[in-house]
Amino acid sequence: MTTSRTRALIAALRHQLGADDPLPPAPPLPKVEPPPVRVFPTQRSQSRYAKAASAHTTALLGIGHVGTRYATDVVLQFQAELAVAHEAVAAELPDGWAADNGLLALRSRVTEHREFLLRPDLGRRLDDASLARLRAEAQRGVDVQPILADGLSAVACMGSGLALLASFTRECEGRGLTVGTPLCAKFARVWLADEIGAVVGARVAAILLGERPGLGTGDGLSAYLVYDPKVGRTDGDRNMMSNIHARGTPPEQAGRRLAVLAQAMLLQRTSGVALDLSSLASDLGEAAGTGYRAPQQRVRLVEVGS
Amino acid sequence: MILEPILPKVLSVRHIPAAHPALLRAYGADPERHVSLGLVTCDQDDPTYVALDEATKHARVDVVFAKSFYAGAGHASGPLSGEILGVIAGADPDEVGEGLAALLRCLAHDACFYAADHAGELAVFPHVITSLGHYLSRVAGLAPGQPMAYLVAPPIEFTLALDAALKAADVIAAQIDPPPSATNFASAFLSGDQPSCEAAAVAFAAAVVDVARRPLLPRAY
Repeated sequence: MTTSRTRALIAALRHQLGADDPLPPAPPLPKVEPPPVRVFPTQRSQSRYAKAASAHTTALLGIGHVGTRYATDVVLQFQAELAVAHEAVAAELPDGWAADNGLLALRSRVTEHREFLLRPDLGRRLDDASLARLRAEAQRGVDVQPILADGLSAVACMGSGLALLASFTRECEGRGLTVGTPLCAKFARVWLADEIGAVVGARVAAILLGERPGLGTGDGLSAYLVYDPKVGRTDGDRNMMSNIHARGTPPEQAGRRLAVLAQAMLLQRTSGVALDLSSLASDLGEAAGTGYRAPQQRVRLVEVGS
Repeated sequence: MILEPILPKVLSVRHIPAAHPALLRAYGADPERHVSLGLVTCDQDDPTYVALDEATKHARVDVVFAKSFYAGAGHASGPLSGEILGVIAGADPDEVGEGLAALLRCLAHDACFYAADHAGELAVFPHVITSLGHYLSRVAGLAPGQPMAYLVAPPIEFTLALDAALKAADVIAAQIDPPPSATNFASAFLSGDQPSCEAAAVAFAAAVVDVARRPLLPRAY
């Protein structure tokens, strides 16, 4: 195949003039000498100010005393964490994973991973086979329907997803709530919980899914809860918790807080902005309060060099 | 055999990462803006002009020097002289390296002369540039990004073929250089939309082939 417009035109003219013997193949690309290898300094900054400052910010980049560019170790750290995020977005939940872990496997109308990234609308509805399986096999009329899903990080789903699902289920049952058949949805967006919740007649639908990876959080889960799920619910009708991972809110603690939220929804018969969290401060901790919070200590997901 | 590509042979590709200011000035570069030079010689001049222009589309480089040698590659001053010396200049050696890579890609896969006769002695260059870089656009007096037909042939073939090209499509002559050039060819730059430039180039090539087949028309009057 030729990439040259002119060569294609002249080959067509040649054909028209009656010369049909094949043209000789194009030569391989000539080699260009590679640029010289760059050498980076390996010494770490010893500045006490920089160390103190980095303990009190989530910022990844600091320019330090290096002129009009970033310090090399900072750039390498940035690239390493960005690579983790890229990998998490690109990861795909294996087809047999749900069944292997005893979950009822569902999938959205998305057919492949690229379509999943480009078509959020398809990720919000179940495909016909999943709908039939859900109707046939899932328990109906439960208080809480938990749904584990890949979302934008299958890595997070496969990592701490089962732990979060187990702790959430245990905490809900401990509060006397009936919990639906554990489900696992592939290629799922948050709003898929609306359709699933409506089909099984759950009072609260809880979808636990990999969150959009940021720098340093390729393994984070988010949970979205909605009362009286049905297609057409908006984000204003939901309560959510993000940063569920080892360095944020650990799955054990998150499961307890989510169960408290679900119980409050059932009591108040609402969710989202209408839900009153003021009485839950003791259970939800600082998540329900509006007071002063201590600065977050940044924990790195990847360690570059040493 | 007819209209086979005659592939240009790159005879030298060299890079001066930081050239002396006197050399920069002598070759038309500006020592205030240019540090690094990329040099190429080739046995076909017009494909190299196109390839130099291609380099300006891929890297921040300027074509500071590009001249054909007298009487062409058949009468070169040395084994590495070929038919043309082209020089690109840039502020960053890596940019110049990228420019050279683009230039070589263009010479290997796009711009080339074609044989207009069965013996392979008659060369025609009916090239369409879909989007001009800032070198040839300056030479031709057109805007960067416009399409252009770059047409070259020996004197008699060129004259008849240019007439055919101008009549074949809605193009205007941006520049016509009648024979002889330094290499004893003649060339023209035609401007128009891309389909027009393509139609003109095809008509040009077809006319050169026709002249090659029937150089001595019997008297019709």
